[in-house]
This record gives sequence, structure tokens and C-alpha cells, in this order.
Amino acid sequence: MREFFRSSAVRVALAFVLATTVATTAVFALVYFQIGAANEARNRLILEDEAAKSVNRSIDELRNAFEVRMTHDLRRLDYAALFGADRKILFGNIDVLPAISLDGKSHYVTASRAPGGDNRLEPAIFVARERPDGTILLLGRSLLETLAFRRIVQSALATGLAPMLLLALAIGAFFARRASRRLTTIHDTIALIMKGDTHLRLPVRSRNDTIDKISRDVNLMLDEIMRLLVQIKGVSDNIAHDLRSPLAVVHAQLERGLESSGDEQLRTVVKQALTHIDKAMLTVSALLRLADVEYGPKSSKFRPIDLSAICTDLFEFYEPLATSKSIHMTLETQSPVPILGDGDLMREAVSNLIGNAIKFTPEHGTVSVSVTQEDGRPVVRVRDNGIGVEPGERDKIFQRFYRTASGHRVPGSGLGLSIASAIANLHDFDLRFDDNDPGAVFEMAGRKK
Amino acid sequence: MTKTTSTRAQTILLVEDEAELANEIKIELDRLGYLVRTASIAEAADAARVGDAAMMIMDRIVFGEDSLKTLEVLRKEGVKVPVLVISALSSIDEKVHGLKVGGDDYLTKPFAMVEFVARVEALMRRLDDVRTTKLRVGDLEMDLIEQTVYRGDTKIDLLPREFKLLEYFLRHPGQVITRAMLLEEVWQYHFSLETNVVDVHISNLRKKIDARGVPSLIVNIRGAGFMLSANA
Repeated sequence: MREFFRSSAVRVALAFVLATTVATTAVFALVYFQIGAANEARNRLILEDEAAKSVNRSIDELRNAFEVRMTHDLRRLDYAALFGADRKILFGNIDVLPAISLDGKSHYVTASRAPGGDNRLEPAIFVARERPDGTILLLGRSLLETLAFRRIVQSALATGLAPMLLLALAIGAFFARRASRRLTTIHDTIALIMKGDTHLRLPVRSRNDTIDKISRDVNLMLDEIMRLLVQIKGVSDNIAHDLRSPLAVVHAQLERGLESSGDEQLRTVVKQALTHIDKAMLTVSALLRLADVEYGPKSSKFRPIDLSAICTDLFEFYEPLATSKSIHMTLETQSPVPILGDGDLMREAVSNLIGNAIKFTPEHGTVSVSVTQEDGRPVVRVRDNGIGVEPGERDKIFQRFYRTASGHRVPGSGLGLSIASAIANLHDFDLRFDDNDPGAVFEMAGRKK
Repeated sequence: MTKTTSTRAQTILLVEDEAELANEIKIELDRLGYLVRTASIAEAADAARVGDAAMMIMDRIVFGEDSLKTLEVLRKEGVKVPVLVISALSSIDEKVHGLKVGGDDYLTKPFAMVEFVARVEALMRRLDDVRTTKLRVGDLEMDLIEQTVYRGDTKIDLLPREFKLLEYFLRHPGQVITRAMLLEEVWQYHFSLETNVVDVHISNLRKKIDARGVPSLIVNIRGAGFMLSANA
């Protein structure tokens, strides 16, 4: 039960009931006071006006008028009397002059004897006014009606509020129960997902309320987490595979070394083993590097750098390598191409692209590097006419450890493009592959702002 | 080889909490004739203060403690001992930080022992900051002011980068220079390459500086890098 009251749904229901009560009471209170006040103000005006008009009438006229009033116009005047200068009643339906000033203004009297002789006391408004002949005119209006009306409003509130509260409570409880049932379902589903039923998703109805929206977001998040998990699993498989092969070779070589008879043979085996260990270390270093880039420098550390200068520098660095493979290398720059970034990282990214291009281009091929501004966006293109990428492999080349079937013959960690892609991403650049037919174009372009 | 000449009884302090790696380092440096002593950060700092160390090798994180903090303090006190920082933290930011607080070199784990030894040798043989204007090995002479290179009487024209490359070799004669060291020092590239670009640059430089009929001044050290023969 405590659990029940602690659930936010129940609290919402109770708050709903409370709010309903307050609002209803407020409306009734307004009606209650407003009606009383308006009625009273109007009565006061009528009385004062009547008294003013009656001041100069003759006594006979008054007597007649009173009688007509008393019998025909009960709605407006309940009391009318004329008192002598000695404050004794001359005629009228009230015996005693109430203790109010004779100023022609209306006064509230809490309890005055009701007209007609019975001994009821009632609240009323009186106006008293001295006439020129010394007599005193008294007019009054009972407030009994207003009071009765107020009482009706009060009892209406009393009898109406209770069922309304019950109704609000019932509605609130209904919604609370429904909401809490949905929350319980969500809670249970999450518990199951955490236990390992990763294929489960939160229920989403077609109605699209807040809970549905949040459920949908959570589902999307779960999908993304699952995608990453699968990716990580794939990556770990790849890591395991990429490390296992050289380790297996090393293992075999060292075993052979143990059984070897001569120093020379042992030395050869050790050398071969070292080569494979180096390969494994290359992989590990590249992986660490990738992690550094992905969880690496924040863009707050970026400084203005010139892409054009970076590419020119790298072009000069790589050109001798290209020449040694009889590859023709060209550079097209539009100096300067300023961006905000990390110079070391950008250099690394472009270096990977140019290095790759040279690696995968046969003798007498061409590798061209261009840096341009297109529509205000900086663009680096590295184009070669080498072996290119098979259509089926194009979306895989940026994945970790992916090496194309033809690329497997070329040494490397298989992480170069992943690193370049991560660096591009960090700089709000996109790294894309295009077919150069034959060969490849890698385009690294700033995203549209 | 040069290793026979390196019987120097100078103490290298090693601050490293991975016992096996520390042991390997010790064996390797012992073999090269260095005296290696493992120490805690505090011990190493005290020894450095009294001038009892020719060099310090510090792991970046030792038993959960950041050794760079101690290094920073030492540098502020004016202790000038050469320091090689080795670390599993491989980002360029970390490297820059390590060098900024006073490391003379920063090597990322995992490293090959040849790479490590080359760095140690470079630091141990670092010339005190003498303002040399001429560098010379055999009959190869470089004038740093005139920016000229002569082999005997023949003037050699070098591209600016080739000049820097040769200058680096001339400043470290008889030492193993790794490709990574050249990338960092000559090109300021702080990343590893999967191509043999550096070898191509070296071979181009050789073509320019080598004389006919004599062995090349710059020799390949298998599995390690290159070396400028000191006694050519």
C-alpha cells in the first residue's frame, strides 16, 4: 500500500483531486460573495434614492405611498415608517427607529425586528432621513433573501462537492492505475533486457503520449547500443584474429627454434619471429591510436591551421616514395585553406590517404592531391588510378581491420582508413570514397554548416 | 661495432612498476655497458637532485602515481638530468604534455627494444648545448650558418629537408637512429607510417652525399634504423 502511495501516478491523481476541490470551491466562493455584494449595492442605491425623493412629499402622500408599497411592491421595500421629531412612530410597519444616523445614507443593521409583528430578527439595510417638518423617514430592505440565496449556494457546494471529489478520485485512480501498470511493464521489460534478453523492446502504443515518446527513445537507444555491441564484437573478433595469426606463427617459429641444431638456424627463426611480433605491435599501436583519436582531443583545443600547407608538406614528404615506384604525383592547392583543427591529426589523416594511394597504385600510375574551397567548404581529394575498390567492398573499407581481398597482400594494420575517418569526424569533416574508374578518390570535405 | 666502446659507468635511474619490462630494460642496458638502478619516483628524484644520475627513465604512471608531477617539480628546481618518459598513454596531447613539463623524449608503449635503446643512447650522448656552427664527419662538412655542405672540395646541393635530415645525422654520429626518431625530429610527424618513405629519403640523401668507391656514410642497421659512421 505504501508502495502504491509512493508511485508518482497515485500522487498525480491525488494532486488532481486536490486541484479540482480548490477550483470548485473558488468558483462557489466567487458566486457566493459576488451575488451577495451586487444585490446589496443595488438595494442601497434604491433605498437612498427613494428616501431622497420622499423627503419633500406631504405626510398624506407618504402614508398612501407606503400602503401601496407595502402591498404591491414587496420586492423593493420591506420597511417603511415615518417617525415624529420625538422619534415616536407616526405610521409604518416598524416600531422602533434603529440606531443609525439620519443622513439619508444606507446603513447595515445586523438584527432588526421583522415587519409583521412576529419576533424574528433579520439583517437589513436602512436609510433614515430627517424631513423639513422635523419628522423622520425610515426606509429599509430585508437581506433575508440574499442570505437565503447564500445559504443555497453553500448547501449546493456541500452536496455537490462530495460526489465530485469521489468522481475525481475515481478518474484519478483509474488513470494512475493505468499509468502505473504501463510503468510496471516498462520496469519489468528493462529488468529483462538487463538480464540479457537484449532483443526485447519497450511497448509503444499508437497514441504517442509522453510515455510512448520516451519508450520510443529508449528503444532507439537500445538499438544503437546493440549495433555498437555487435560492432565491438566484430572488432574484437578482428583484433583476436589479427593478433592470433602472427602469434600462432611466432609460436610455431619459436618451437622450431627450440629444436634447431645450429646457432645460425636459431638466429633465422628468431628474426622471423621478431618480424611477426612487430606486426602484432603495429596492430596494437594502431588500435590505441584509434582510441586516442576517438576519445581524444576536444575541439576546444583546435587552432587555426592551413590545410593547404599541411598537404603541400605531405606531398613533398611522399613524392620521393612515389618517384621510387615510378608513380607520377601531382599537387593542386589553393593557398591558403584555413580551418580550425588539430594540425598533427589532420597531417596524420591526409598522410594515411596519400600513403594508401601510393600503396595501391602500380608502377607508372598517377596519384594526385588537391586542396580546394568549394562553396566555402574545405575539400581534400586524393585520387589514384590504382586497383581501386570492388563495388561490394566500398562500404566496408572504413570499418576497422577491413582489408580488401587485394589489399591483403599489402602490409598494414588495416586501421589506416578507420583512423583517417575518425580524425575527419572529429573535425566535422566527412571522408568519402568515390570510384575513379580505374582507381579510387578519397574525398575529405568539411560538413555544411 | 660501437657497442664495445660504451663501457661508461654512469647510472641510469629506471622508474618502472612493470617488473618484467623493468628487468628486460635493465638486461639490455647492462649489456650496453650502462649501470641501471631501479628506483621509486621519490628515490629517483632525490638521486637526481644530488647529481647522482646520468639519466632518468620514467614510466608515466607508476603505482597509480603520475610521475610527470615529480618531473615538473625537479625541472622547477633546476635539475637538468635528461629524462625519457615511457608511457602507455599514446595520444599526441599526452606526448606534448610530457615534453612540456620537462621530458626530453617520450616513447609510447608497446615499443621495440631497438627503438628504446636508440632513444636512450641519443639522450646519453646528447651534446651539451654548444653552439656549433660546423658539423663534420670524415671529409663531410656542414656549415650551419652558410647552409652549405661539402664533401671534400665538392659542394653538395641539398633540398631544405635533406639538409635537416643530414644535420640530424651529423649531430648524432655513431648512434642508431630509428625511423620514428627521424619522423619526429626532421619532419615533426608524430604518427607511425605503414610505408617506407623514410628509407626513400635516406637513399636519396645517400646518392647525393656518398662518394664513389667508398662505403656509404649512412648505413642501415637491420631491424632498427640507420647510423652515420663516425669514423668514415
